[in-house]
Amino acid sequence: MTRPLRSVGIAAALSLVTGGAVGQEVNEARRAYLAGEYEDAARRYAALAERRPGSVLVVKGLTQTLAEVGRYDDAIAAIERFGSASPGSPELSRTLGDLLAQRGRLAAAESAFVRAVADGATDSLAARLGLARLRWGRGDTVAARRDLDLLLDEYNAGVARSALDLLVVANAARLLSRYEPGLARDALRVYDEAIAADSTELEPRVAAGFLLVERYNAPEAREAFEKVLARNPRHPSALLGLARAARLDGTGSALEALEQSVAVNPNLVAARVLRAQLLLEAEDHEGAMREIEQALAVNPSSLEAIGLLGAARFVLGDHAGLDEAAARAAAVSSAHAPFYVALAEAAARNRRYHDAARFAERATELDPSLWRGYALLGINQLRLGTIGPAQAHLETAFRGDPFDLWTKNTLDLLDAMERYETTSSERFRFVVDGRESTLLSLYLAPLAEDAFAVLSARYGYSPPTPIRVEVFPTHADFSVRTVGLVGIGALGVSFGPVIAMDSPSARPAGEFNWGSALWHEIAHSFHLGMTEHRVPRWFSEGLAVHEERRARTGWGARASPAFLEAHLGGRLRSMHDLNDGFVRPEYPEQIGHSYYQASLVCELIERDWGAEGLLGMLRAYREGRSTEHAVREVLGVELNALDERLERFLEERYGVALTALRAGGSGDEATPETIARRARNPKDYRAQMTMGAMLLQRGDTNRALEHFERAKGLFPEYAGADGPYWFLARIHEARGARERAAAELTTLTTLNGSHYAAFDRLARLRAAMGDHAGAADALDRAQYVSPFAPDGHQRLAALYERIDRLELAVRERHAVLALNPTNRAEALYRLANTYYLSNDLDSARRWVLQALERAPGYEEAQELLLTIHERRPDESR
Amino acid sequence: MVLYFAVLSLLISPNSGNAQSYVLAVAGLGGEPRYEAAFREWASAFVETATTGFGIPSEDAVWLAGSSARADAEAAGPATKNAIGEVLAGFAARAGVDAMVWIVLFGHGSETGGAARFHLPGPDLVATELASLLEAFPTQPVVVVNAASASGGWVEALAGPGRTIITATRSASERHETRFGGYFVASFADAAGDTDMNGRVSLLEAFLYARAEVERAYEGEQRLLAEHALLDDDGDGRGNLAPSPDQGDGAVAATLFLQPATAPGAAAGDPALAALYAERDSLERTITALRGRKSSLTEDDYERELERLLLDLGRVNRAIRAREGAKPE
Repeated sequence: MTRPLRSVGIAAALSLVTGGAVGQEVNEARRAYLAGEYEDAARRYAALAERRPGSVLVVKGLTQTLAEVGRYDDAIAAIERFGSASPGSPELSRTLGDLLAQRGRLAAAESAFVRAVADGATDSLAARLGLARLRWGRGDTVAARRDLDLLLDEYNAGVARSALDLLVVANAARLLSRYEPGLARDALRVYDEAIAADSTELEPRVAAGFLLVERYNAPEAREAFEKVLARNPRHPSALLGLARAARLDGTGSALEALEQSVAVNPNLVAARVLRAQLLLEAEDHEGAMREIEQALAVNPSSLEAIGLLGAARFVLGDHAGLDEAAARAAAVSSAHAPFYVALAEAAARNRRYHDAARFAERATELDPSLWRGYALLGINQLRLGTIGPAQAHLETAFRGDPFDLWTKNTLDLLDAMERYETTSSERFRFVVDGRESTLLSLYLAPLAEDAFAVLSARYGYSPPTPIRVEVFPTHADFSVRTVGLVGIGALGVSFGPVIAMDSPSARPAGEFNWGSALWHEIAHSFHLGMTEHRVPRWFSEGLAVHEERRARTGWGARASPAFLEAHLGGRLRSMHDLNDGFVRPEYPEQIGHSYYQASLVCELIERDWGAEGLLGMLRAYREGRSTEHAVREVLGVELNALDERLERFLEERYGVALTALRAGGSGDEATPETIARRARNPKDYRAQMTMGAMLLQRGDTNRALEHFERAKGLFPEYAGADGPYWFLARIHEARGARERAAAELTTLTTLNGSHYAAFDRLARLRAAMGDHAGAADALDRAQYVSPFAPDGHQRLAALYERIDRLELAVRERHAVLALNPTNRAEALYRLANTYYLSNDLDSARRWVLQALERAPGYEEAQELLLTIHERRPDESR
Repeated sequence: MVLYFAVLSLLISPNSGNAQSYVLAVAGLGGEPRYEAAFREWASAFVETATTGFGIPSEDAVWLAGSSARADAEAAGPATKNAIGEVLAGFAARAGVDAMVWIVLFGHGSETGGAARFHLPGPDLVATELASLLEAFPTQPVVVVNAASASGGWVEALAGPGRTIITATRSASERHETRFGGYFVASFADAAGDTDMNGRVSLLEAFLYARAEVERAYEGEQRLLAEHALLDDDGDGRGNLAPSPDQGDGAVAATLFLQPATAPGAAAGDPALAALYAERDSLERTITALRGRKSSLTEDDYERELERLLLDLGRVNRAIRAREGAKPE
């Protein structure tokens, strides 16, 4: 039974410097050890040990120093050698047990611990902790918990008073806090007492830092580790802790801290495991395997390392290897749940959500108190759309681990989603905030169904339906739904059967085209389904962007000056590591560049190998092929050859723009003089744009026009907000040249489907020029950028009525109503009238009655009702 | 006793818009050019709607702006406390017992030392001071719209029988510049507030329209709503955030119009037209009553009856237009 710890005053402190003959030299060795001067400390301790082989203090100092730099075998040898000078002494047994446990020699470790306890060593509490840990690791958690609980009793009885004993008690409380979350606070308090008992000792600070990481408190954990590193900048465990904190909150570089940690202690298994985990996340499977092998070479019984071995083999499709790893884990521990947690995490990262849920469920079966298992199970069930069970598992996880921010955020979001409304179409289920559902459903359903029809025809495959589409009005909610935390940069994500995305209201109008984003995510659902979730990120993203471009005019990413400059500067990834551009970009913009680059690769494959090239790649991925093998098998070329083709493809397509961008970049400070000088080069795109903008600001539209025209000629494919088309259109319109303004805007919107203002201006110009169909087209496309402007829907409805596209006019009248207009009666009447024009008298009657119910005196509505009745006099209603 | 009777009659027979209306709009101290311009535009537009739009004589609808030292050439006078007092005194001298008085304040406000203020060039106008000035209208319905920031306290200070008080904010702590005034003016000027589509904008419609548009504007900018308008027309001094025409606050405001009604007097010499008007009024009352019984009827019964009444109403209106020689737009 565990119980809260009673606070006891601890006055005793272990004095490591005992004076006497050893005094000064031991102090020097200890100082070197604490400062991280391990080589010096080891040399000093070794020399002392040679002279005084029977000194426990010296031998412990030596082994501690050797262990901290990973020389476990040397440390064990030192104990064996120097310990023989004090035959029968139990004082080195616990230290030996710790070292043997780190090498995975668990039976020998257990014997050593038992000896220390039986012989009444001064560090017998630490030996008892060692035994409890061994039992825990074997899966005998009942016995382990009992042992740990007894250690807390020692504290409450006032037995544990030394810094080491207090550290032991705190560690016991830390382990038990998994069952009683409140013990985490007690553990922290006792760590503080251990620090107070011996302020030179760094281990309690490091352990407290790890506890904080386990409780998702990265800032305070980082503070604890940094305090240790201020005293010993080479402390390998503190560096590992810093890496864990960095991984937890994304602040700082986890890999960098890990490099430093393993540089000091290349045999620190936990550091190797974390490195392997990071490499697996970055899809560097070979690198991960190397780390795992090194970890297992040190400690073949490390469940974490075996778990990652299984995870890597799972990702690589090595089923036999996975089974072997599972057997290995089972041999180490009867409750080898962490093995399945590692598998579940890897599966989820590789978008294998069914497998992730399966592994997580297995973990909870093996250890029903493994809260992380429930959290993983719940999160992945959410991704699969099984909301009810997912919520129940998340609640279990949160009850057990109330510090888990991811689970808490997700549960909060699920609560908030109770006000969401669900609507359905043939193959989709849309879950949208109640305030937006009516409006967005008007567009979501037809667009999603269209995407499904187009993509299923293209791929000859249909994913399981219904696909659940969740639309979030705040980006933070979308982010929580996706990764459990706020701050994700994406617009949408497809888990296969579930798609989550930002609502157009989640971002300022014009920041993205939500229709295009939805198409992109639906394409992912196809790719994931076709490959049984084995498609690599680069190919799925590239193909989805390619699909966007094919879906509607102006949709999908296009080349930008920044992209082409990255190409010229050698900052694009090669085919060998294009996936890294998504998962570990070298600079922030590389992700965006990689999307476009990958889409070009897909376009290139389709051009040179036909649609079958793309389909063949998908089939190869389903068979578990790597990109290198897939390209070789399906396309018959090596990756290098594909790189060369892409290079030529870029030159063919963007030759003029590349030349224009090569001409720029003098690096001068941008003064009016330098801009003017550079703009004398008619081949410098950037200079032409800058000069045009400067002249426009000065009101010199004639000359500005010349420079913008020149820029357009140099890079006609670019229609970003800072490109020439928008400026040209505004200048032409200001001059009354409506045709030319409309032409510029038409080109702009053909290339860029996210420019709301351009669509709006184009619609107004086309309408003024009498081109109502053109105006309607522009305004219709604008709705996929921002559908929340009532005026836009009213105008569009009127335009559709004018060109006799009444079914679309009806949609727009419904959109006006969905925006909750102040004058609802008028909106109802106009909807009724559009139905009337469509000859749908039943609907017309129904809606006009609603208008008149609110405004009985509304004469136009009265007239419409009378007219409806006059046209169907035989009907009573 | 006489006063009591008069007030009672106002409560049960509110002004339908046919009595003479007196309108004072004040553009308060802006502090910054953009606010000065906005307040001035709103005040002038409101009065322009009253005069040009609704035919109220220009001497009975005035707006004040600027200071004594820097008069606004187009305004009737400076926006000072004295000028306000003089205009209201003039209205009081001319107003009949059932005339209606509209006072609309555009500007900034505050509350210090428990006194709710409307900022003017020179001394501010304190709510209690306006309450004193309003004593000059013992029988006339009075509408006060304070569209200023921190105006919530004006409800309690001015409320009383026969008075409808609207404020742009619900308390003195809503201190940021308000948008309510602009939408309130637009509801009349563009008839945007005519949500029952009967050709006239009631004070309640104007309030609800302005409130909704303020909310929409804040939502569009993804900002938290920083102004919550209040209306009190039952004299209890407690402003209502969601008044309705059915009961409590809103019932009186629903019957108050700046725009005069189309004179049914045109039917005086035409008994057939008078009968049609009477039939229309009767049908409208029946529809109102039916809506009140909606929850007690089945959906089909309600809809059938509503449709029958609306068809009758439509036919009567057709007949009225035919008789008057008008055609529906």
